[in-house]
Amino acid sequence: MKLGLTKAAVLLAFLPALAFNVLVDAQRGGRGVPAAPPTPRAAAPFDLSGQWVSLITEDWRQRQFTPAKGDYVPLPLSPAARKIADSWDPAKDEAVGEQCRAYGAAGLMRLPTRIRIAWDGETALKLETDAGTQTRMFYFGAPQGSGGDWQGVSAATWDAPRAPFAGRGGGPSSGGSLKVVTTRMKPGYLRKNGVPYGANAVLTEYFDRFDVPGGDALLVVTSELVDTENLMTPYWTSQQFKRENGTTGWNPTPCAAR
Amino acid sequence: MKSARGWISAGLMLLCVTLSGQAPQIPTAIPGQAPPVDLSGYWSPVLHEDLTERGPGSEIADYGGFPLNEAGRLWALSYDPSRVTLRHHQCEAYLAPYQMRALGNFRIWEEREEHTQRLVAIHIWAQTTEGHRIVWMDGRPHPPAWAPHTFRGFSTGQFVGNALVVRTTHMKNGALRRGNGAPESDQATLTEFFVRHDDHLTNVTVVTDPVFLSEPMVRSNDFSRQPVDPGAWLYACDDGEQILDRPKDYVPHYVFGKQPFAREFATRYKLPVASSLLGGVTMYPELAARLRSVTDAEANALFAPAAGRSPETSKGIDPEPRDGNIHIWPVRENVYMLVGDGGNIVVQTGDQGAFVVDTGEGTMSEKVIAAIRTLTDKPIQFIANTNFRREHTGGNAALGAAGQDPSLPGSFFLVQAPRGVTGFFDDPLKHATMMAHVNVQVRMQAAGAPAGAVPADTYLDDRRRKFHNGDSIELFHQPNAVTDGDSLVYFRRADVIVAGDIFTTTQYPVIDVKSGGSVQGLIAALNDILDRTVYRHQGEGGTYIVPGHGYLADEHEVVEYRDMVVIVRDRIKALIQAGATLQQVKAARVTADYDTQFGANTGPWTTDMFVEAVYSSLKAAPAR
Repeated sequence: MKLGLTKAAVLLAFLPALAFNVLVDAQRGGRGVPAAPPTPRAAAPFDLSGQWVSLITEDWRQRQFTPAKGDYVPLPLSPAARKIADSWDPAKDEAVGEQCRAYGAAGLMRLPTRIRIAWDGETALKLETDAGTQTRMFYFGAPQGSGGDWQGVSAATWDAPRAPFAGRGGGPSSGGSLKVVTTRMKPGYLRKNGVPYGANAVLTEYFDRFDVPGGDALLVVTSELVDTENLMTPYWTSQQFKRENGTTGWNPTPCAAR
Repeated sequence: MKSARGWISAGLMLLCVTLSGQAPQIPTAIPGQAPPVDLSGYWSPVLHEDLTERGPGSEIADYGGFPLNEAGRLWALSYDPSRVTLRHHQCEAYLAPYQMRALGNFRIWEEREEHTQRLVAIHIWAQTTEGHRIVWMDGRPHPPAWAPHTFRGFSTGQFVGNALVVRTTHMKNGALRRGNGAPESDQATLTEFFVRHDDHLTNVTVVTDPVFLSEPMVRSNDFSRQPVDPGAWLYACDDGEQILDRPKDYVPHYVFGKQPFAREFATRYKLPVASSLLGGVTMYPELAARLRSVTDAEANALFAPAAGRSPETSKGIDPEPRDGNIHIWPVRENVYMLVGDGGNIVVQTGDQGAFVVDTGEGTMSEKVIAAIRTLTDKPIQFIANTNFRREHTGGNAALGAAGQDPSLPGSFFLVQAPRGVTGFFDDPLKHATMMAHVNVQVRMQAAGAPAGAVPADTYLDDRRRKFHNGDSIELFHQPNAVTDGDSLVYFRRADVIVAGDIFTTTQYPVIDVKSGGSVQGLIAALNDILDRTVYRHQGEGGTYIVPGHGYLADEHEVVEYRDMVVIVRDRIKALIQAGATLQQVKAARVTADYDTQFGANTGPWTTDMFVEAVYSSLKAAPAR
């Protein structure tokens, strides 16, 4: 390849910078000796652990009380899902031991509840609720378990925004969210009044922590539920929790169908 | 790569990659630097939560999930949604927290400084009410307490982690929830977090309001990114006559305990009556247990002020700087507001001498004069007083003596005027001319004020006018408002009204019944202000109103204040008609929903004194 004078000058102009970059890399430990990646726990951009209480400030009536049968506005239900919702019978659920249908992963975080989050080793987060006494496990790396229960299988990643100059070709920047994708859930209810989601539903959640200046720490869980069987469009909501100091208020209760 | 341009591009890319080896891998939280998240684009709200409220509107008494304190709950229960049929309420915009929950399209774009490309601001435009929010990213401070409030407030932002964090102050009174009266006060502050997940944007709003909330109100709003301009961005609104032949002093509201639809929400959804009225606990899992312990009597008591309590006091920020300095706030064109010496002072400047409205308490007159000197090198030529009170006339003598009226020497007026009678000064080049309604002169003379402090240029009827410094200035007498000598001073070209103590943002009106004040006259005076105002856009801006005390306002603050006076009058009137004594009226806590804004239990003007003034003026001249 034969370079013209202009092209060669341009390339030469940038060569010292390239050399400096290599030098900086060498000082960091060298490209050939990659450092062990931090564990998910060590890489956490923020602390989620502790006890949090839900703040029911939206869809208040439908969340603090069990709505009447057929009260499913504005959920984008398919005709099949409406039919299921319209035939909701909590007595039947109780009779077959299915009181926890509204406590599955897709509905659980919208219930009035306290949650406790803690690391389970270096690669998993455990989230417990006192409402319905449920436990969700968020696994970084390969998901564990086969699912088929209320909480399904949850795969977790740290979802950091991409900054153009952070790392070559764009790498993580500071901050970020906990992204949790949950599949293989046992069919359950989005609302306690029998609004259904199915076994093929995919729940994607983003957990963000926000520190209010001079005050509370908030955990906001933005969730998208995709369930082509029951929902005409993805169903987006965001739930907020306030951090609590200590364990006061923790009140484990069994699932209730009504 | 076939051109030199291509090679230059490649080189620049190489440089970028190379620089990454030098730069720390952290985006910035420092104003003015590169944002770690780009919010720019077209966004549509995702309405999967609270759709009924955000669409058709919320139901009366549906305050569940809102941490309303007693004042907030009573304010809401007193609210009649038909209030929006009144002209001055028809086009009101949404407050910033509710704006983010509105229907319609949103657009977000960055404003960058041309030469450095530093991020100066992030703009948020909401279609509904044409809400334009500006989030300043350049590190500028928030305005002082005496600066005007707007529906969207004043916002500053910074990036923290992957979120844009926005702090907003200086919002107006308005709705925390649309349509059912749940209020937010002008003392509220807003903290927001914007975080983006691919093409989804989550906005978290945290409203802290010491006036109406017992704890912060947290909500979240979701948006989905739109790939193209949806094209609908406007929201035209002009007010008009919706219901004819109503008296001007009519404000739709319900007397405490008389809201006929207050139980409808609970009945329709088979909820306990108290369920949505219990304030903060309604947000928490504890609600169910709390409801189990609520008796019928306790539930019924939620519709009226709790008995036996002392009035609450104002939770508002004291707008007085109290730092020993006089602060100048430019109002519009050549009109300025001076803050720091008791009552607000207004100065108009131009090629003639300064025209000053009110002179403060007089404890800092030298600094007031020095501040005026920074605005104009012309002397103080005219001083107008809005009333006789010391907070507004205390500096008359000092400011008058520091001024001169060059329009008088050699004039027939001065030669012929019997100065000993009129109070004009022997040498007008040694004193400003002071004007007011004649009752100000009478009352100041009766109080033994020195001659140099008493307005001499008085008017007797309804209007005094003067063209000065290129503006048409009018004084309008407001008979029997807070006194019998109140004037509005209207700078017509600048479109600024100086209200004196007819309107404040800090306290209940000081209706001085003994000096000729009355509640009916005050309501008429507030309506007279509103007859002269024109808003710029969506119920705000346009005509500015300088209050006797407090922050620079527009018609929205005046109409809220007018509503308050009318509502309190109506409650007291109803009790009088039922045979209540003054003590019974006070015990009824007729101001309970306004006390956290305006109340005082100590000092020169207490809530009890205000109630007594309304009561006595109604007893003296029963309202219609």
